[in-house]
Amino acid sequence: MSNLGRIVGPIAVIAALALAGAAQAQTAPGTQQQLIQQQQQRRVEQPLNNAPVWKEVRSGRPQFTSIPGRETNVLIQSSGQTWRALRDGPITQYGGWLLVIVVLAIAGFYFVRGQIKLHGAPTGRMIERFGGFDRVAHWSTAITFCVMAVTGLIILFGKLVLLPVIGYTLFAWLAALSKNLHNFVGPLFILSLLATIVAFVRDNLPQAADLKWIATAGGMFGGREVPSGRFNAGEKGWFWIGVVILGIAMSVTGLIMLFPNFDQTRATMQLANIVHGIGAALFVALGLGHIYMGTLGVQGAYQAMRTGYVDETWAKEHHQLWHDDIKSGKIQAKTEEGALAQMQRQH
Amino acid sequence: MSALKWVAVAAAAAAAFGLAGCGEHEQVVVYKQGKYQGKPDTLPWDNAPLAWGTAKWEKGNEKSWEDELKSRTQNQNEYVRIQHY
Amino acid sequence: MARMKFLCDAERCIACNGCTTACKNENEVPWGVNRRRVVTVNDGVPGAEKSISVACMHCSDAPCMAVCPVDCFYHTEEGVVLHDKDLCIGCGYCFYACPFGAPQFPQAGAFGLRGKMDKCTFCAGGPEPDGSEAEFEKYGRNRLAEGKLPLCAEMCATKALLAGDGDVIANIYRERVTVRGKGSEVWGWATAYGQPKGGQKPAPQGAKS
Repeated sequence: MSNLGRIVGPIAVIAALALAGAAQAQTAPGTQQQLIQQQQQRRVEQPLNNAPVWKEVRSGRPQFTSIPGRETNVLIQSSGQTWRALRDGPITQYGGWLLVIVVLAIAGFYFVRGQIKLHGAPTGRMIERFGGFDRVAHWSTAITFCVMAVTGLIILFGKLVLLPVIGYTLFAWLAALSKNLHNFVGPLFILSLLATIVAFVRDNLPQAADLKWIATAGGMFGGREVPSGRFNAGEKGWFWIGVVILGIAMSVTGLIMLFPNFDQTRATMQLANIVHGIGAALFVALGLGHIYMGTLGVQGAYQAMRTGYVDETWAKEHHQLWHDDIKSGKIQAKTEEGALAQMQRQH
Repeated sequence: MSALKWVAVAAAAAAAFGLAGCGEHEQVVVYKQGKYQGKPDTLPWDNAPLAWGTAKWEKGNEKSWEDELKSRTQNQNEYVRIQHY
Repeated sequence: MARMKFLCDAERCIACNGCTTACKNENEVPWGVNRRRVVTVNDGVPGAEKSISVACMHCSDAPCMAVCPVDCFYHTEEGVVLHDKDLCIGCGYCFYACPFGAPQFPQAGAFGLRGKMDKCTFCAGGPEPDGSEAEFEKYGRNRLAEGKLPLCAEMCATKALLAGDGDVIANIYRERVTVRGKGSEVWGWATAYGQPKGGQKPAPQGAKS
């Protein structure tokens, strides 16, 4: 019975869709030419019945107007309703829940697993992990990302969460500030993002060792940490899915909405806004994970990006293959000992 | 650590409550003490008719203002203006 | 209670754009913004050309209000959709959502930077005190508070555009349709249910209107 159901179910759905499609085809308003002919005929048969003209109005096709401006020749655009339904519905609801769940999951992970500490004693020998360009690119992206995330959240959720608390006057001021920050920091974020991609793309290329890391989730839930190169598969996932795909998607869709002076249509901007909303929710969710692992989650990770140097023990425990390559001389990396190393450790 | 835990639980509860309010609100007209849903505005019939105008209504009386507008709307009806068809 | 509405009679509109001009003049609308416009459907096609004047339709379930991130819109008791320019941040979302292209933005800077949104107010001004200088500068004339109706409709030469309480203008239009000597075909019963049986002739063309 259940097998039969499995077969009948999809067939029924397809049949229903086909029927709906046929019904759609029957009531489709037709081309502009057809509607013009219908109207000319109707004028004789049933004077004053302008149904074909109203169908043409409803079609959303451009007509004639002497008023300049964007799409002023369109009487009714229907896609605005779709955009409204998506933005005020699934994007707000699921996006909001996604962020709440991610924050809760991270908090839960922290309480259960705690900080991932070094097992061995620090050697005092420091290896350079991030050069000057790496760090400038990373931190400019990080700071602009946070600005974009916070201002974006205010623009999407502020009306529902902040407005009832702080009132219209203050919230409108905050929202205007958010919009302007979002608009002006956006281009800086794009430049920083491109610099970050250039800085980190080489060591984020996939390697054979990544498969094993993915299979065991990097040993994050107990067990041994899987040896990895300069970046492990988790970091690579953040780089490719977050930084590269979502980052570029946010940049492109953001620019479409940021510069409305190229006569792009409302439909284009609606689509851009939908992609921007979905992508931003995922980007912020992944970003929260990255921020956690880079600060609270792993001892020494924040110092690594801040000073550029990591202890040899840290390198061996978290990125063993990278450490081995440096030791064997396959990778040239600056090392520091003595006073500077002491200073680095105190940070 | 337990203080931090309580803070986290409180933050999560606040976030969940906030989210429950997300989505669209029903659009209703609520006029209270010079404000429509928090935005200030005055009612059109709370003005005295202009001294030089032809409009006549009693200040603050909604019915008289509506009647005045209804009779004025008939200016758009040429059958009334020309008195015959 | 009055529910203010617009109604455009496509049989009468001659696309003179007088409504557009009257609105711009009466409300001193910002440069580059037209709160009302006339669109001609099937322009230049004999027997199929109709013109319609369109502006904000003051929807009961207003999409602009639903998507505004600062909730700057409000419905008045007369059913007019107004907005508070002091709250508006110029994001353009109402322009995305509106089916009629009513919300428009004066350019406030380089690269198409949007200023405060401007749209038809049904000549009802905005949040500032009625008839004040501040209200006029931001939103234009508050004719409803003066006991008048939107100028676009009041000055329409052919009375194609009607504005006022929905019941009243619907009555005016209904009377007009009756005088034209037409019946159910105007609202499309012949389309929905077919021609009357018994060989009844269709109404003659070019009846009085």
